[in-house]
Amino acid sequence: MKRKTFIASLALLTALPFVSCSKSETKSKLTIALLPKSKGNQYFVTCEKGARAAANELGAELKFDGPINSDPAKQNEIVENWITDGVDVIVASCENKDSISTALRKAQTAGIKVVTFDADAQPDARSFFVNQATPQGIGEQLMDTAATLTGGEGEFAIVTGTLTAANLNEWIKYIKQQQAAKYPNMKLVDIKPCDDQKDKAQQEATNLLSAYPNLKAIIAVCSPGVPGAAEAVKQAGKTGAVKVLGLGLPSENKAYVKEGVTQAVILWKVEDLGYLSIMAGAAVAKGDLAPGAKEFTAGKLGKMAVAGDNIILGKPFVFTKENIDQFDF
Amino acid sequence: MSDSKPFSLKSLLTRHETVLVLVILLEVILFQALGRNFLKGANISNVFRHSVEIGLLAVAMTPVILTGGIDLSVGSMMGLCAVLFGMMVNTLGLDPWLAGVAAIGCGALGGGLNAVLITRLNLPPLIVTLGTFSLFRGLAEALTKGAESYSGFPESFLLLGNSNIGGLPAQIWVFFVVAVGIWLLVHQTTFGRSFRAIGYAAEGARYAGIPVARNTSLAYIIAGAVAGLAAVILVSRLGEARANAGIGYELLAITAVVLGGVSIFGGSGTVSGTLLGWVALAILNNGLTRISDYRIFDQPVASVARELSGLLTGLLLLAALTIGASMKALVVRRASKHSLAKTSLNPTNP
Repeated sequence: MKRKTFIASLALLTALPFVSCSKSETKSKLTIALLPKSKGNQYFVTCEKGARAAANELGAELKFDGPINSDPAKQNEIVENWITDGVDVIVASCENKDSISTALRKAQTAGIKVVTFDADAQPDARSFFVNQATPQGIGEQLMDTAATLTGGEGEFAIVTGTLTAANLNEWIKYIKQQQAAKYPNMKLVDIKPCDDQKDKAQQEATNLLSAYPNLKAIIAVCSPGVPGAAEAVKQAGKTGAVKVLGLGLPSENKAYVKEGVTQAVILWKVEDLGYLSIMAGAAVAKGDLAPGAKEFTAGKLGKMAVAGDNIILGKPFVFTKENIDQFDF
Repeated sequence: MSDSKPFSLKSLLTRHETVLVLVILLEVILFQALGRNFLKGANISNVFRHSVEIGLLAVAMTPVILTGGIDLSVGSMMGLCAVLFGMMVNTLGLDPWLAGVAAIGCGALGGGLNAVLITRLNLPPLIVTLGTFSLFRGLAEALTKGAESYSGFPESFLLLGNSNIGGLPAQIWVFFVVAVGIWLLVHQTTFGRSFRAIGYAAEGARYAGIPVARNTSLAYIIAGAVAGLAAVILVSRLGEARANAGIGYELLAITAVVLGGVSIFGGSGTVSGTLLGWVALAILNNGLTRISDYRIFDQPVASVARELSGLLTGLLLLAALTIGASMKALVVRRASKHSLAKTSLNPTNP
């Protein structure tokens, strides 16, 4: 009996692959699939908003799906399901560069165009990478904003994540270069790590304020550093006297910006990143964007420059008291 | 146990496996009707390709649960074995197939650690494997400093996880061999039958002359070795070995086993039940991603498939257990009525 059921179920299982599907599908619309690193993250929810706008303009169907936990196999499985569906384009932000590349190569073999955004895959697993910002763009924007806020004079300090983080050090390098080239009257006095923790950032910023009484600005290059430094400045009663700026999400800093403690939060327009990525994916699918192109037209964003296989979103955006209310990410 | 009973519709209906076969059929019909491309060769391949690791853990978990134990460490073991495999190939330059065998060996060793703590020190399996659950994952994270990963494996090795043989994913054939092996062990050998005896009454089994410690140990060692194999297959499928491989898989495997009708207290259950439980879950997970023409919570079902599959897995499990329990209660009530009717004819036996 037991064996009978077992054999019957085995037979059922082996028969499954040979049953074919006769459902007919009418395919006229371009189908674009957008894969975030994780689905619930506000950053990617904002990307999706921009992506939807782009898909609506193009008259394309947009699929948005991503992992909801940290299982490293999930992104691959989503891509493989999309291959079965026969989507036209996959636009992906990659959590695990190497493993997702395995699935993206499979998609390419199946004739699906692949574009990455936000976080790249291996170069051979996609045709273009939509890059939100170059390290140089970020570094220069931070330094320029600091100079504008302080009138181009005085001492400033940097709060970073860790002293070993490669991307943060890259940004700091360009901050230093820009200062040396354009703002000779400004001086970088110290760089402190905050281990990507707000508490630690607050503590380090408090130390900076007492160690350098003439400090004019604190630049935070990691996102917990911005509210951390702001809290320190506020508690020290130096609101306005010491300017606070840095890289971070507008939503995390809104309160401090409105109080006038933090003067500027710098980040790319996340919604535009989603929009541009979909436009790039569609252009690749239609053959309007091919390797070797120097530029392409991305809807309302206009002509975008293409550098090699990178499409750059442009200069980072500065969120201030005046405009921060318009953004909800 | 029911091998000797004559065939009857009633006993067929009360069998847990029958309920599961019906559930699976219902799922197939439903997803084919509502979804796109469900019964398409490529999608059926995906169903099994994406769930084979959990299937492996589930069949190997069956003997453990039959003995009345549990192994929470198998998911973490996958993470550790994946990292060790990556190191052996990338750092030591070992051939991936050789490293694969070594990773299975590492898994067996880890299972051995569980076995020693459980059978020699008489510690509860839940606590021991909760400890190694953290230990193995922690070790994997420490070895990679939480960030490093291993990739760049030879193309021939990646074929194991990504190619098809005979219309089915290559790794499913490995799974068949393991599943049949464990089925033979559990249902066709005295060794395997002792698992149920131990789970039913360990003391009784000991008095009956069964080497309880040795046989229980074997169940955990098999679970560990199979976790190692699952890790190798996962790495081959993804092309990357990371410390977070197999995270949360132990609970999915246990869900498949329990859904398959294996008693969590040990003593009763079958490997075929586990297989059916696993198939029901695998189809559910994939099928929901096929439904893009219908909307729920104002979104296409496919875009909330992962959230829904968690919800439905819970419902399915509870429904299957409830149906199973009420069927049993019904049979018991009928049987007792029947025997009461008989005994009333015999006044000496009230």
